[in-house]
Amino acid sequence: MNNSTNFHPTDSMLIEFSAGSLGVAPSICVSAHLHFCASCRAQLKRLDQVGGQLLGASNSFAVDDDAFDKLMEKIDRAEEPVAQENSNRKMPFSVNKLLSKALVKDSWQRLTSSVAIARFRTGQEEFEVALHKIFAGGKTPKHDHHGLEYTVVLKGSFSDEHAVYREGDFLVRKPGDIHQPMGANNGDCICLSALSAPIKLTNPLGFLMQPWLRINPM
Amino acid sequence: MQANLTNSEAPPIMDERIAIFSGAEKRSDQWTLLLIAVGQKRDRAAFAQLFKHFGPLLKGFAHAARNEGWFPGLGDDLVQEVMIKVWQKAHGFNAEKASATTWIYTVARNCRIDMLRRKSNTQHLPLENEDFWSEPDEETPISILQQKRSEDRVQTALAQLPKEQDEILRKVYLEGKSHAEASEELGLPLGTVKSRVRLALQKMQIMISAEEQE
Repeated sequence: MNNSTNFHPTDSMLIEFSAGSLGVAPSICVSAHLHFCASCRAQLKRLDQVGGQLLGASNSFAVDDDAFDKLMEKIDRAEEPVAQENSNRKMPFSVNKLLSKALVKDSWQRLTSSVAIARFRTGQEEFEVALHKIFAGGKTPKHDHHGLEYTVVLKGSFSDEHAVYREGDFLVRKPGDIHQPMGANNGDCICLSALSAPIKLTNPLGFLMQPWLRINPM
Repeated sequence: MQANLTNSEAPPIMDERIAIFSGAEKRSDQWTLLLIAVGQKRDRAAFAQLFKHFGPLLKGFAHAARNEGWFPGLGDDLVQEVMIKVWQKAHGFNAEKASATTWIYTVARNCRIDMLRRKSNTQHLPLENEDFWSEPDEETPISILQQKRSEDRVQTALAQLPKEQDEILRKVYLEGKSHAEASEELGLPLGTVKSRVRLALQKMQIMISAEEQE
């Protein structure tokens, strides 16, 4: 939880996140980034204050007279929930939740010799949300994007022709962007990603991998 | 026992609540004090006061939503669901991070999204919106007084916004409209909506930069 991340979600994404109107998949990625980024957390805190003040100043509607009694009955019947311990404090809260509730398969699936994937079920059809593991020193096929891709580095680092991306960095790839990520040599790199449309391999041999990389929202 | 104690006129319950704090922090807002009492002492009287204040506001917040999945009973359901969560999660409330109003807003926002999604989506949703919100410990917690000042600033700034900017913030936060939805509804280009929101937040000193950070 340092503040050394260099790549952040846009202000508009943070505003929509705070207001609750950002989609499920981008929200998962923004929340993973927040785990690593103190400056975005501070910004979100200020944005939430706006929501709080607007709620405090919004129109009120009378609630039924017996609403409070009904509520207390429910509370007395309900079991007190056990505070859940965060299973792995190094991973963002949202990623731990995904790992415990939403994994499609328990094991990594190889996409290529240097990349493995673990897909999540997130109840929406716009984005495929998954973890990608780029093995140390691994080179991914050069590909371009037909849709949007959000990526957050969770562990280790990778690079492409533009920069090196480290833990917490939040990347957006837009349609038409071409890149070839490479894993760092000193360890595997794990990224969370949300991908909105199939990526197209530009390597002539890449077509072999195409079926693996097809979008597969769950 | 000292004799002069009999002169004390403060109701004992308030004494006890205020005793949690020291010095300037006594001036923290009443809802925050009540929420602390609920969290630390399971104080039902305090909870009843919170309900009386926030219940109608939460119902208004539900009625403001115009998203897919909206249904007439949403208001009453949301009040119940949010207030149950408030009771159950109050022990985790930290007044150094947020006021009660802001904290309850985040609970209500997450609940409202989940309830609307459940209504509009037949698929099984493995995750709730709450699962996306973590609360990492801040490296530099600010005092409750600073917290209060900062909330007051936001409140004052909000009241001074030009109508157009106030409207767009309400659309975004209370109606839960994305920027794209707001642009469609208002018949304005997406860029105009984004910059209007930004301008409002900048005026309130919530957002520092004038330009969208890419």
